[in-house]
Amino acid sequence: MSDPLYVKVFRFNPASDVAPKFDHFEVPVFNNMAILDVVMHIQNYMDRSLSFRFSCRIGMCGSCAMYVNGRARLACRTQVSALKTRNITIMPLPNFPIIRDLVVDMEPFFQKWKEIKPYYLPKKEIDEPVVIRPDSKEREFIDDMLDCISCGCCYSACSMVATNKEYLGPAALNRAYTLIADKRDAIRVERLKVVDRSYGVWRCHTQFNCAEVCPKNIVPTRSIQNLKRRCVLKKFGIFK
Amino acid sequence: MHAWTWFLQRISAVILVIVLGLHIGFLHFSNGGESLNYTDIMARLKTPIFISLDILLLIFGLYHALYGLYSVFLDFDSGKKEKIVVFGFLVTMGLSFLGFGIFGLICTFC
Repeated sequence: MSDPLYVKVFRFNPASDVAPKFDHFEVPVFNNMAILDVVMHIQNYMDRSLSFRFSCRIGMCGSCAMYVNGRARLACRTQVSALKTRNITIMPLPNFPIIRDLVVDMEPFFQKWKEIKPYYLPKKEIDEPVVIRPDSKEREFIDDMLDCISCGCCYSACSMVATNKEYLGPAALNRAYTLIADKRDAIRVERLKVVDRSYGVWRCHTQFNCAEVCPKNIVPTRSIQNLKRRCVLKKFGIFK
Repeated sequence: MHAWTWFLQRISAVILVIVLGLHIGFLHFSNGGESLNYTDIMARLKTPIFISLDILLLIFGLYHALYGLYSVFLDFDSGKKEKIVVFGFLVTMGLSFLGFGIFGLICTFC
């Protein structure tokens, strides 16, 4: 039998605990074990009070994002073997208020998501369905960026979010870009106004932390840079 | 304002690369392999093209550096009053250095 995993788990219940602490567990390993299996094993057999969030188990819902060995990851898509160590530290995502243990409050994240009006509003003069050429460069870029599952990994890794809670963050800005770049959208200019402010696109310093941790390999920094360009074009009266 | 200042930051970066390239090129490669001497350097520094180049370097270098500094300051999430004070201080500092620099270049070499 192989050595167990030495797992250190962040524990904190704001309702009853004065300060956070770490609990230590020895968890047996099995083939293809993911971090989600590790926390489920702890909850099922060692400590039933451990709180964490999960749903789909296949990297679609984005609810099981955690801070594992110093990096934001989806627990269901992170293989224990990929960490290349038997020592695992699991913490809640940084930059979010903690509800309990590994469960964070996503409200600030989705509040910013709402600010950019994350839904498509068609222009009145456009008759659906609209023909979109498969080789459209603009569409290809938008399609790549639409893979976002709003897990919050980028938001937790962003040092600008860490220093300023008002900053919209990479996920909301990326979503804004997918709509602003879509010529069928009726409120592109209004959307651009929302992101063209100090705590919008201009706080991004292109550090690429968001891209580094995105489980869907999206590069929100690219979207943000494109938004900055569009803000400049708007000043020149070119973007309409 | 952010769009303009960000755009100017990019423009100044490109200009700095070009002007610094010319500056370094003039200093190190236009000497024909001979050792430098004071008289030659002073003669070169007095040429209008070199003075213009240095003034451009001064303008864009100051803008690029001070706007970069202001961007770093903005990350500290300060209040509106502090922002105005720091902005005013940096503008005053920039204009003073620009004045000193241009005065020095023109008075020394013209």
